[in-house]
Amino acid sequence: MSRTARSVERLDGLWVGVMAAVALMGVRLLHMQVVRHAYYAEVAERQRTQVIAQAAPRGRVYDRNGELVATNQPAFSLIYLPGKSQDPSRLVGLANSLARELHRDRDELLELLREAVHEESAIHLAENLPLKTMFKLSELKTLYPGVDLIVEARRSYPNGAFAGHLLGYMGKMDRRAWRRLKDKGYRVDSWVGRAGVESRYEDVLRGVDGEIRMEVDAQGRLRRRLDEVPWQAGGNIYLTIDARIQKAVEEALRASPSGEGAAVVLDPRSGEVLALASVPDFDPNMLLLPQWDEAKKAVGSLPEFNRALQGTYAPGSTFKVVMDAMLLEERKAALGDRVFCPGYLSVGNRVFKCWEKKGHKSMDFMAGLANSCDVYFYTMGLRAGGALIERYSKLFGLGRKTGIDLPGERSGNIFGPEARKARKRGWYEGDTANLSIGQGELLTTPIQMAVVAASIANKGTLWKPRYIKRLERRGERNAEDPASEPAGRIALRPEVWDLVREAMVAVVRTGTGQRVNIHEVVVGGKTGTAQNPLGGDHAWFIAWAGRPDEEPSVALAVLIQHGGHGSSAAGPVARKAIEAAFDLASAKGAAPAGAPPAAVIDELPPETLPDPHPAVPAPRAPAPAAKPGARTAPQPKPAAPEQGADLYSEDEL
Amino acid sequence: MKIESSGFRGRIDWGLIAAWAGLVAIGTVAILSTASPLPHYGQIIQRHFLAVGVGTLLFMLALGFNYQVFQDQSKVLYAVAILSLVAVLVLGQVQRGTKGWIRLPFFSFQPAELARILTTLSLAAFLDRRAQRSGTVGFVAGGFALTLPILALIMLQPDFSSTLTFFPMIIGMLYCAGAPLAPIGAMALYGGVALGLPLVWTLIQLHPGWAAASSLLDGFLRLREMGGPFIVAVVAIFALAWLAWRLSLQLRVTLPPPLFAVGALILVAGLASGAVVDRQLKDYQRARFVAFLLPAADPRGASYNVQQAQIAIGSGGLWGKGVFSGTQSKLGFLPERHTDFIFAAVGEEMGFIGTTAVVALYMLLLYRMVDTARQARDRYGFLVCCGLASILGFHLLVNVGMCLGFVPVAGIPLPLLSYGGSNLAMTLFALGIVGNIYSRRYAFY
Repeated sequence: MSRTARSVERLDGLWVGVMAAVALMGVRLLHMQVVRHAYYAEVAERQRTQVIAQAAPRGRVYDRNGELVATNQPAFSLIYLPGKSQDPSRLVGLANSLARELHRDRDELLELLREAVHEESAIHLAENLPLKTMFKLSELKTLYPGVDLIVEARRSYPNGAFAGHLLGYMGKMDRRAWRRLKDKGYRVDSWVGRAGVESRYEDVLRGVDGEIRMEVDAQGRLRRRLDEVPWQAGGNIYLTIDARIQKAVEEALRASPSGEGAAVVLDPRSGEVLALASVPDFDPNMLLLPQWDEAKKAVGSLPEFNRALQGTYAPGSTFKVVMDAMLLEERKAALGDRVFCPGYLSVGNRVFKCWEKKGHKSMDFMAGLANSCDVYFYTMGLRAGGALIERYSKLFGLGRKTGIDLPGERSGNIFGPEARKARKRGWYEGDTANLSIGQGELLTTPIQMAVVAASIANKGTLWKPRYIKRLERRGERNAEDPASEPAGRIALRPEVWDLVREAMVAVVRTGTGQRVNIHEVVVGGKTGTAQNPLGGDHAWFIAWAGRPDEEPSVALAVLIQHGGHGSSAAGPVARKAIEAAFDLASAKGAAPAGAPPAAVIDELPPETLPDPHPAVPAPRAPAPAAKPGARTAPQPKPAAPEQGADLYSEDEL
Repeated sequence: MKIESSGFRGRIDWGLIAAWAGLVAIGTVAILSTASPLPHYGQIIQRHFLAVGVGTLLFMLALGFNYQVFQDQSKVLYAVAILSLVAVLVLGQVQRGTKGWIRLPFFSFQPAELARILTTLSLAAFLDRRAQRSGTVGFVAGGFALTLPILALIMLQPDFSSTLTFFPMIIGMLYCAGAPLAPIGAMALYGGVALGLPLVWTLIQLHPGWAAASSLLDGFLRLREMGGPFIVAVVAIFALAWLAWRLSLQLRVTLPPPLFAVGALILVAGLASGAVVDRQLKDYQRARFVAFLLPAADPRGASYNVQQAQIAIGSGGLWGKGVFSGTQSKLGFLPERHTDFIFAAVGEEMGFIGTTAVVALYMLLLYRMVDTARQARDRYGFLVCCGLASILGFHLLVNVGMCLGFVPVAGIPLPLLSYGGSNLAMTLFALGIVGNIYSRRYAFY
């Protein structure tokens, strides 16, 4: 029964083997826990934290008087945090539930969720959620780990459809655009300004998104808030726009015969844009609906076309003011030179008709413009010659962009012997006759005609129109007040300006533009009815206005596409604009009295937004004690204006 | 019985007790910490302390009477092991697809744990009885034959991991009992072929291009279908063995002819068993193979566990994140954190200091067992110590190796640390027997 010596040797051999193996493990432990500790610690830290981006409020946009035209409001967003050890098959159930609550396509949601799991990063599933949906979704939170609701700042346009073409709207980026912008802190689901001021001043308006660092467990459930980087709101912008004029112009344009048109109102003293409108227009709030693409589809083809800058039309009779300036400056016509108008003029073998078939009889300089007598201008135009008219149309800035800082502006088209020559075609007398009344191939944009009107009002300064009054860039102490730049100077004799202005006043007082005759102010204008071979005539009205004994402070151009007569279609718009600009009694009646809609929407300054993560009871450092009602803020109140009600109605998802 | 104070000191192996008490203490702290986010925390803690109490009692009980009783009653122990395993098949509860637990009023009991200790005790008696024939092939074959019914019953549960832990015990005891190396080597070859083939097959399967590019590899892959290629392979093995024998005759190397026959038989048997094992592999087990072969292939799948364990250990650093402060275990990234992967949780919360302490205490424990084996007064005690030390050593190497990424995930706990009442109690019982052998190393009483 004695054990052999050999067995103990074997046991010792095994023992040495175990010791060797354990020594190897010790080395490995030392390597992992001491040498490579930093690497593993970083991996562990990374997988236990999720950074949730929190969209910062964009800078606010005000009109020249400080009325809010674009601001922010708190909105709930549904986010999804993929967990490390989540069962992928649960995604299908989650997608089903979400599709039901959000009324969205199940497969699309599933793809989003899968992508989030693959990328291991949090995504926004839905934004701008209505309160009722939010309550339903908060039940999902308990069923599906990783689903959570946060508060973010969302763009809001308190006036609804207001200066949409100038303000622009917010939209999502496509992947390619995002790749270009991601270095600037944009997330793939960030909103970005898509047109107008929102796009052009994206760098000023955009804030710095906040970040909440949350601890998540392996299922992606949020456990607690670790820390956060508060957002920084974007810089504010003051526009030169006057909201009262803008509203009056938009209303009048919508009420015009065709409902299609544009108007530009400038301050002739500075070139500042007081109003810039184009109808049909759109409500930028519509594009902030949770699903941007669907909203865009729902709105239909967005009326993005800005007629004020992009529409080119024959100026028609409004061109006659340029003719008048030329005739006097070049001494081609004296005030008393009379032309007999029988209702037509024969040029060569062609007959050119006057708009007044009966004829204006005897016309002089003043009466010619006041009655817009075509025969007078045919005659005078033929006397001056096409080349001179072409030179003056260029002098007044036609045929080139005004230089307003908005994308897509068109330069129109110059019509004249030189332009014809450039295209290797000849110039005929008949062309001169056509050009004399602003017809033919001459094409102008409403903003060009507004600049022309302004140059007459200020006696020769061609402004580059400007719509920014003040930029308050984030992090900069001093606001930036851009100065106006003239795009050119028209050097005419002073008495020429006075006479042209006098003729324009006569148009309003005694001629075709009597609809815009306002007693309290001095108004000079010119109607235009541009014949359009493709459809109904385009109605024009250009004007300037000023208080008696003061220099004109308003200049404008109105175009009603297919509107018919300039006097009846465009005139009322010009009248409303001037009344609003001078704050006259009839304008007050037209604009709805009472508080502006901006005050009704529960707009909160960003620092009083409710806790961005309501599920975690940790309060934000600066307690929003000042506004106890902050938490209930996003709830649409019954008194909310129409736009707000539309935005948050339950059916609109 | 008269006990002198000095004699009493010599009878108790304080080193052994200190080692297991230290491990159980660290384990308890780790379980308290890692199980705290779990829904049945209270129940887990309750059961753990019950197991510690029962285990301590069993340790003292095993110390209390002469271990030679186990040798005398080895047939009874063997019968108890068989009966308990049959009982679990009849009465047992299915947990995680395995029918391995008998439910008792306060806790569930895993008979496989008991069976392992009882098999060790009866196998030691069997090997000791045949000490004179320890040099023969029959000695080795007998040892394996004795454990075969036990293994078969556990396989019926089915609990692959539990059967795995029997082999180091059997081989360790046979080896230390002085068995000839050739049969052990043959068994190892057989086992290697039987387990290695599925591993290689899985590897080839992972690279569809390989088999498509080579008809030889494709045929190799199709061996497991037990069809034509299998028969070809069997014939080829015998033909090669015959050729090798002819070659050895030509070279005038004197090798006994049966060597070639046995070699060929082992290969064929291994091939057949490998094909069977390959068919029996469950998806999750194959996934573990894949995870071991290609850790980066599927970071969210099977290798996820190993990666998370390594992140936990590595992020612990020198001093650890502090008990109750491990993010890996608290937030659920580390799976099985209070059972199989408790070593990783210790590494995270107690750092390099903690893992070193665990390994050092384990080495002290194993050293005490090896030392007891050396000093045991009879061959039976020696073999029992060898068997039990083999079991614990194997668990240590496989479990820690798994956490460190050396070994595939095998579902083997770290005794004395991992949560698991039956394992803890039976391990303490086994250590009691070792202490008993130590205390009776001199045959004075």
